[in-house]
Amino acid sequence: MSEYIVEMRGVTKRFPGIVANDNVSIAIKKGEIYALLGENGAGKSTLMSMLFGLYEPDEGEIYVRGEKVTLESPAAAAKLGIGMVHQHFRLISNYTIAQNIVLGIEPKKRLLGFLPTLDIKKANRDIAELSRRYGLEVDPTQKIEDVGVSVQQRVEILKMLYREAEILIFDEPTAMLTPQEIEFLLKIILELRAGGKTIILITHKLEEIKQVADRCAVLARGKLIGVIDAATTSTREMANMMVGREVETEIEKKPANFGREILKVEGLTVKNDDGLEVVQDVGFSVRAGEIFAVAGVSGNGQIELADAVAGLAKTSGGRIFLDGEEITHASVRDRILRGMSYIPEDRQNVGLVLDFDLAENLALKSYFKEPFCRKGFLNKSAFEEHGNRLIEEYDIRSGQGIHTQVRSMSGGNQQKAIIAREIELESKLMIFVQPTRGLDIGAIENIRRQILAERDAGRAVLLISLELDEIMALADTIGVIYRGKLLKTAPAAELTSRKAGEYMMGVSA
Amino acid sequence: MKKKSGSGFRRAVLAVFGDERRQSITIPVFAVVLSLLASAVMLLALGKDPINAFLGMLRGCGIIPKANYAARTGMLTDFMSFLNVLAPMIFAALAVAVASKTGLFNIGISGQMLFAGFIATVVVGYSDLPAAAALPLVIIIGIVAGALIGGIIGFLKYKFNINEVVSSIMLNYIIQYVVSFFINMYYVDPVSRQSMYISDASRLTVTGVEIFGMKADLPLAMLLVPPAIIFAKVLFDRTKIGYEMKSVGLSRNAARYAGMSVGKNMVLSMLVSGALAGLAGVAYYLGYFNSIQPGVLTSVGFDSIAVSILGNYNPLGIFFSSFLITIVSKGSTYMSSSAAIPQEIASIITGLILVVSACTFFIRTKLARMSERELESRRAAEAAETPRPAVPAADDDSKGGER
Amino acid sequence: METFISDGLSFALPLFVIAIGGIYSERSGITNLALEGMLGMGAFVGALAVVLFTNGAFAGEFYLAMLFALLGGALFAVIHAVLCINFRANQVISGVVINILATALAAFLAKLINSAVFGQNSNKFQLSTAPTLGAIFPGISGVPVLGRMYVFVPIILVVALAAWFVLYKTRFGMHLRACGDNPHAVDAAGGNVARTRFIAVIASGALSGIGGICFAYYIAANFSPSIFMGYGYLSIAALIFGNWRVMPTLAACLLFGFARSGGYAVAKILELPSTFSNLIMTLPYIVTLLLLVFFSKSNRAPRALGEIYDKGKR
Repeated sequence: MSEYIVEMRGVTKRFPGIVANDNVSIAIKKGEIYALLGENGAGKSTLMSMLFGLYEPDEGEIYVRGEKVTLESPAAAAKLGIGMVHQHFRLISNYTIAQNIVLGIEPKKRLLGFLPTLDIKKANRDIAELSRRYGLEVDPTQKIEDVGVSVQQRVEILKMLYREAEILIFDEPTAMLTPQEIEFLLKIILELRAGGKTIILITHKLEEIKQVADRCAVLARGKLIGVIDAATTSTREMANMMVGREVETEIEKKPANFGREILKVEGLTVKNDDGLEVVQDVGFSVRAGEIFAVAGVSGNGQIELADAVAGLAKTSGGRIFLDGEEITHASVRDRILRGMSYIPEDRQNVGLVLDFDLAENLALKSYFKEPFCRKGFLNKSAFEEHGNRLIEEYDIRSGQGIHTQVRSMSGGNQQKAIIAREIELESKLMIFVQPTRGLDIGAIENIRRQILAERDAGRAVLLISLELDEIMALADTIGVIYRGKLLKTAPAAELTSRKAGEYMMGVSA
Repeated sequence: MKKKSGSGFRRAVLAVFGDERRQSITIPVFAVVLSLLASAVMLLALGKDPINAFLGMLRGCGIIPKANYAARTGMLTDFMSFLNVLAPMIFAALAVAVASKTGLFNIGISGQMLFAGFIATVVVGYSDLPAAAALPLVIIIGIVAGALIGGIIGFLKYKFNINEVVSSIMLNYIIQYVVSFFINMYYVDPVSRQSMYISDASRLTVTGVEIFGMKADLPLAMLLVPPAIIFAKVLFDRTKIGYEMKSVGLSRNAARYAGMSVGKNMVLSMLVSGALAGLAGVAYYLGYFNSIQPGVLTSVGFDSIAVSILGNYNPLGIFFSSFLITIVSKGSTYMSSSAAIPQEIASIITGLILVVSACTFFIRTKLARMSERELESRRAAEAAETPRPAVPAADDDSKGGER
Repeated sequence: METFISDGLSFALPLFVIAIGGIYSERSGITNLALEGMLGMGAFVGALAVVLFTNGAFAGEFYLAMLFALLGGALFAVIHAVLCINFRANQVISGVVINILATALAAFLAKLINSAVFGQNSNKFQLSTAPTLGAIFPGISGVPVLGRMYVFVPIILVVALAAWFVLYKTRFGMHLRACGDNPHAVDAAGGNVARTRFIAVIASGALSGIGGICFAYYIAANFSPSIFMGYGYLSIAALIFGNWRVMPTLAACLLFGFARSGGYAVAKILELPSTFSNLIMTLPYIVTLLLLVFFSKSNRAPRALGEIYDKGKR
């Protein structure tokens, strides 16, 4: 019997254009918390997806409890006691919590003695019992679409426990949680280990590794860099290992120099498709040279707030002013022309037309103006010149220059393209929503610097981010949003991240 | 798949289809060849000679000569008649392409054609206007009537979020029955059971012109084909409206984000699409024919979908694919009578071409993966000057379909 | 009044069973515009079985036709399933393409078989009329509505009940609906998305086949290519009003059925000439459009409908 519960030997996985994992070998002991550290695209998720049976390795072998296994499906992995909480939850929104948990291994009963049917009552009882046993309280009869992110995550964990999984994989589990929720989750993870479970934690947050992990494998560009002991290695060493160079952790921030009020929002209310008020009576203002950051847990109305300011979501109450003029009912185009730039959360589906080339995308907000368009006809050379200039100035890298289809570009360069386009509009107000999500450290640094540069150039910046670190690093003023309401607005200096976290959970002191 | 022959096969496939820029031509050609092969097999199974059948189609269209002709007719007669069906097909396929640019599927072409044809017939065809006034009027009425129906579909989509496929099918049936009602009530020719013939002056065909001793019907609508193709090409590639329409079609969210009006663009593209369909309608009912058969929709409207997909929604591509599909549909009549093969086989060939065309995306990704793997194994082969065996490529072959 | 009710039901229920087929396919995440082709090919195979295996005097003719229509529809649905699931074609285009192919195939094969087997130049298969309840249970032949009700009305109701049960009360149904909302969840839970969707599309073909043969018997008492009257699209409209749920869809189908039979009843009372039947025929379509105007906005289609499922994508 091997001392390792999971071993991956010489695993290689290729996707069109990239080698996601290159000859990676790791070995995990039973009952330990094993962290996988690496930047986005380092190959952590791919490696674990192979252990979970979503992909099969092109080369290499996987051993579970000392035996060589082929995992051709998640079902095969589940049989071996492997469970995974994905970064993007895999839940059926219109099913109840209990239905989601039992999906695939539903308890059955015979109706009228012969008709096989689902025994949903038994499922509800079982789930209630299970959730009590592990201290993960949920109401089995609630629908997924009616509960928040942290409850959804509990459901994912319960799904694994219901299947009696022994090896639990968590993919970036803390990305969407408040500090308090993170603390709770880490506690649960430690308890699970105490209960004999083996835990694999995929993350890029060094503090979490320090807090709970026993050992940590560092991946970069698909390769295994090394395996370290979490207790004896400093976070700084880990970071350097992950990035492959010295990391600057602090960005320099000049003192603020506020000008006149650029954006003013009064009593703003937004309803979603179901008629629920997702933004309620929100009011704030952003001055020139100020970064106003909205902090909050995902799904508390911050996206709708940004969309309403940009004109993409209908408001059902309140007023919006841009540089003193009311724009509550102005069209999107009108707002852009009056001076509003918007870096949206969903860069692929909203910020870009993926099947257009780079030149066309870089002109997405100015194609109708001279010199791009004269009397309704397009001037291709204007598109090309403009594209080439931006590629040069903003260091946007792509395979075939301006003629590259944006779909084929990396996430970082896609975001660079959007930011370049939006900065070029020279707007009075810039809205950034989750500007660094999913990017690697180098790109994150770069974008944060750009945001600060825009503020120093005298623009008003509205920043919406789920990462409290980012908000703490950049904001001049912080507004915390909870269930659509702005619970607290304060200068950044007056708010600790701990305090902000409390407001994010709705604790108003 | 065997490993050795697998990679040889792969190299051969890539040699033909590997060039990505040429794929917009090679893949449709592949679709056509495959469907023709399939129909050849079908014909063989029926005990018919497929070569003869295909030649029969070409003969029927005046592209190659028949064995003999009736007095004062010839290849030119057939070819002109072929052009007369070709013109509406091209307009109809362009109509499909315009709608598809904004991501809409205009399956109501047939209904729009019938409506335009009927209105033009009633307003101009039964008047005694001279040709100089009647012909432009026929064209204008056709365009306006078609645009009206297309616009309704676009408006319903924009205003009420009604799936355009469902609404255009509903309108197809409504138009079909209503037109049928009016023809049977007021305009029926008791002998032919069709609508009464229109005046010669209003017909988009000059009949019985003698050229080189052969009598032919000159298709005037064909004169509008080059302008229509250029119009579509310029619209898609060179105009602000085209850029907006494509944005809306490729990503509705991004278009809205960029400040474009998604609704306006959808209505606009359906207006233009309907207008082209209307043009197809008058070219068909007041050009190729001179009366309307009540109670049926022409298959041109549906075949044009095949034509458009086959032509990759590209105006020039559409010209060539129209040519091809029209040979099949028009030539089938002669093929049927000369080789005793049921005429319906034509629609089956069209159907087969459509089915293969529907898999274009799959073929493309499959090819992309193939060339990826070819590159890899070549790299591996280069690296394997050392005796280490290359990566077995056949393994992922079997799984390619799942992803 | 009696004709009004029985005509309404005879039209509404075949439509309903086809719409249930559509619900199966679409709740599993596969857009299905191919219902039209499936119902036609189902009817074709059913009618073909009748003309090949019976000589017009077989009492169980209708049931034989129904069985073969079910099989024929299911078999034809394989094309849609393969195109959408294995070949990842655009589902809307696949549906339309299949309808065009079905129209061509039915016309071609009907003609071919008629001339090869029976030596006739025709594209029709003659059927008898569908049996009524009164004919089967002579005891109730005098009962209004019930006595003259076609036997397929109660059969479809039973099929519908079974389909409803499977969709909402069984594991398979739960997986099917889950596939239409978040296929990744099904995959992660150990389900097989492709297989579930494949079965759903086949089921939609089988149910459409049943509906198709009922229309063939009820509308014309024969099979001919004119079976392609847009009933498939009507049932899609019905399931859209029904918000992809079985019971509201039944209500929509009944509305179409009674709009049509009501139109005929009014025409009869007003003694309109027969040419007006053309106008009455438009009623279900006009009602559809009007209803869509009022209901489309509030509708919520299955979340994953029409999306090509890609295991690797997150």
